Amino acid sequence: MIAYIARRLLILPIILFGVSMLIFSMIMMLGPYQRLSTYINDPAQLKGAEDIDQLVSKYGLNDPWYEQYGRWIGGVLKGDFGWSESAGAPVTKAIADRFPATLELALLSLVPVIFGGIILGVLSAVHHNKALDHTIRIFAVIGWSFPSFVFGLIVLMIFYGVLGWLPPGRLSNWATEIVRSADFVSYTGMYILDGILNFNFSIVLDAIRHLIAPVITISILWWAFILRITRSNMLETLKKDYIRTARAKGLADNIVVYKHAVRNALIPVVTVAGQMVLGLAGGLVIVESIFNIRGLGQFMANAAQQLDYPGVLGGALYFGFLLILINLFVDVSYAVIDPRIRLE
Amino acid sequence: MEWQEVVKRLLQNKISLLGILIILFFIIVAVFAPWIAPPRDPDAPYLIPRAGWSIEPQPPSDEYIFGTTEGQYDIFYGIVWGTRTAFRIGLIVVGISTSIGIVLGTIAAYYGGWIDEILMRITDIFMSIPFIIATIVLVTILGQGLTNVMIALITFSWMSTARLMRSQVLSVKEDEFVQAALALGANDFRIIFRHIILNTIFPVVIQASMRMGSMVITASTLSFLGVGTPEGYADWGQMISFARNWILGVEGNPLNYWYTLIIPGVAITLFCLSWNLIGDAFRDILDPKLN
Amino acid sequence: MNFLNKQALVEVKNLKTYFYTEEGIVKAVDGVDYEIYPGETLGIVGESGCGKSVTSLSIMRLVESPPGRIEAGEINFQGKDLTKISEKEMRKIRGNDISMIFQEPMTSLNPVYTVGDQIIEAIMLHKDVNRKEARKQAIDMLKKVGIPLPEQRVDEYPHQLSGGMRQRVMIAMALSCDPKLLIADEPTTALDVTIQAQILELMNSLKESYGMSIMMITHDLGVIAEVSDRVAVMYAGKVVEYTDVDTLFDDPKHPYTWGLMNSIPKLDKDVDRLEAIPGSVPSPLNFPKGCKFNTRCPLAEGKCYDEEPPLEEAAAGHKVRCWRYKDLEEIKKRGERIYEDRGVQK
Repeated sequence: MIAYIARRLLILPIILFGVSMLIFSMIMMLGPYQRLSTYINDPAQLKGAEDIDQLVSKYGLNDPWYEQYGRWIGGVLKGDFGWSESAGAPVTKAIADRFPATLELALLSLVPVIFGGIILGVLSAVHHNKALDHTIRIFAVIGWSFPSFVFGLIVLMIFYGVLGWLPPGRLSNWATEIVRSADFVSYTGMYILDGILNFNFSIVLDAIRHLIAPVITISILWWAFILRITRSNMLETLKKDYIRTARAKGLADNIVVYKHAVRNALIPVVTVAGQMVLGLAGGLVIVESIFNIRGLGQFMANAAQQLDYPGVLGGALYFGFLLILINLFVDVSYAVIDPRIRLE
Repeated sequence: MEWQEVVKRLLQNKISLLGILIILFFIIVAVFAPWIAPPRDPDAPYLIPRAGWSIEPQPPSDEYIFGTTEGQYDIFYGIVWGTRTAFRIGLIVVGISTSIGIVLGTIAAYYGGWIDEILMRITDIFMSIPFIIATIVLVTILGQGLTNVMIALITFSWMSTARLMRSQVLSVKEDEFVQAALALGANDFRIIFRHIILNTIFPVVIQASMRMGSMVITASTLSFLGVGTPEGYADWGQMISFARNWILGVEGNPLNYWYTLIIPGVAITLFCLSWNLIGDAFRDILDPKLN
Repeated sequence: MNFLNKQALVEVKNLKTYFYTEEGIVKAVDGVDYEIYPGETLGIVGESGCGKSVTSLSIMRLVESPPGRIEAGEINFQGKDLTKISEKEMRKIRGNDISMIFQEPMTSLNPVYTVGDQIIEAIMLHKDVNRKEARKQAIDMLKKVGIPLPEQRVDEYPHQLSGGMRQRVMIAMALSCDPKLLIADEPTTALDVTIQAQILELMNSLKESYGMSIMMITHDLGVIAEVSDRVAVMYAGKVVEYTDVDTLFDDPKHPYTWGLMNSIPKLDKDVDRLEAIPGSVPSPLNFPKGCKFNTRCPLAEGKCYDEEPPLEEAAAGHKVRCWRYKDLEEIKKRGERIYEDRGVQK
């Protein structure tokens, strides 16, 4: 088991290396003049061709790719991810500033996705082909087909435009002032948690109010995904021989389902959860854009559009690192659930 | 199961029938686009004609039955020709990326060893970058335009097919049927070929049909974020990006500009829904265990 | 009506279990009668699809419904009709008064729980003991079924045990609550021959020490001969012959049983060719009119195609379902074969 984890951890730097190479080579497809544009805030300042060339050699944009890559890697290993033009700050600071918002959003989204999806998937399977099953399936397939950004915009339109209940952004203006003031201690950067720790529950409520719409928007898609997979796995599991044995022992139906079947059915779901987290990252980008949440997703989208390549590289590495860790966590829990894996 | 049986069942199943009908509708719209919404400039049919230059979207009227977006782009025209765009994106992206995935997955499974290791690590690397972000980066580098969008989508979407194909081929390799047939001399190569294809292709086909929908959604997401087709191109996502500033309506009537969002949104959802319905029904039919 | 004029433990009367499928109604069990007496082993033998498994699942009320349904009949056990009692009452009987073990030991145990947990679960469900006591009893059971080092095995997972051991665990679990009847559905079919013998012997000795009855379902005549006291031969959803095991082998009266007996080689008989019953079991969606065996029976004629024969008492303690069993007796006396010489009439 330990060897298993160790092996996975050893591959991690290799994959990160691969990811950075991939992105770097994509960016290298641009000529040095195009890449220079990320450093130039005001084109009017340029005094002509010589000026441009000077800048190009200043930033080493014409050097062989491995030198440029080496320089970047060298910096990374020292903890310096470079300067993000789109954020106007060092990449590390830009990411650190924005990470809590994304983390809060991601964690709050995972909860309804996982629990809602699994519970509904189990219910759907247990009531196979009855009305409940059909209803749940219809909602699932529609949820899976709805584009997130359309759904998000509709939510914004109705719940903010028409009803005024759920505004975009992370906090209302009055709350933002409080949070920025000296009285409020920012422990985590996540407003719900910080609000609790500061005993300021109006902040907590305000933060929650701003999170409802984005969380629902992200969740819909992945909730449908988990539901479908749980359902089909449960249906298969319920046909297994050991379920028949459990019934033959005289166990009540709900024990048979929830104790004997669910655990087995969840094994493949756990492996899929890793893939889902990847997709969740995409959802974060969209949702942060639509609801104006200053998080990592929004940062990545802006950086990519502005070709802020230190920003893109830094962000991608960060995401990659997190994803691999999460996948490792998923694999470990896979081993916890399924004893057959444990003893290998 | 024979092809005829599969098709018959697909048509009998109410769910897949609905999906097929919706797609047929879209196909008809796409094929007859030049007649349903005649282009102003026959050489550039994908440029949505404009009813004027004012910023404010106009509601549906007799002349423009779906209304116009910000900048007066004709929504009806955009929907009709956007259908063609959607099919182009779906078929090309899914076609090519699935082919790449099939080839790589088969090679990895067939040869095994370090070829398999390397291919799988490469797949892992590609899979470690969130799809949207990778495509945004690539499109930004390549420049806006439908072709570049498709290239970006293909580059980052072959992995799931490769993995699926690989696991399918691996399981068939161990299949006793194949081993027995080989032991018998396997003169009827066609039987084995058919058996392997039958077992490996169907899950890939199911996955491909679901991806038709998701690729169109991703493409429209890119357009929405401004990193997709150029302004004024007949693309459903593009039209929604114009709706962004108007979804809050005006004072007193927040739903004033609903048509800028809802109409293209419904188009995308129906398109994706129909492919998902077919894929779902297909899976139910081919998987006897779930019957 | 009692067969042996004793009090039966389980009395199955005119049991009918049908399956309502897309292609039609499958009459898996179509009017079956038999009894199981205390302390005896009743063997149920027949080809696949004859309905032997479904009768046992019907007794346990484990038939998948939909699409299956106990259409008619009674199953009398300790003064109750099992087809009529509530599900709650039935659960008290399952695993407790009547236990069942199945054919596939490899897949019949839940892979994510230890062997011990699964036995303890059964014990604590039906008996009023705490977990510590239940664990002691579980280890005890493992010992009784001949598993070495039971204190260690009790915490192992099913995949760590061999097929034979898993079947022993299944038996331990089935017997943990002292059932009066153990239903064994092809328990040895998936095991090696040597393990088979061990398991059968184990079941016999446990039957003695527990004083319980066994219903042994199998297609293997060898197993029948080994463990049964009495036998019911089933064909196409009905019992076609019903007698004690010695009589069955010495004096089979039904052409089907006769065919079964003579299709296996015997050490004490010298034959040039084995008799084989031609054809195959008719589809349950399309049973023939009259006697269901008439598509393969060399003696079928006239009445056999019109009317189904009743299960009648051909001799004391010996029932047969055939119009022409007396003719078969004559043929046997003459030392003739029926399957080769006569051929099959359509």
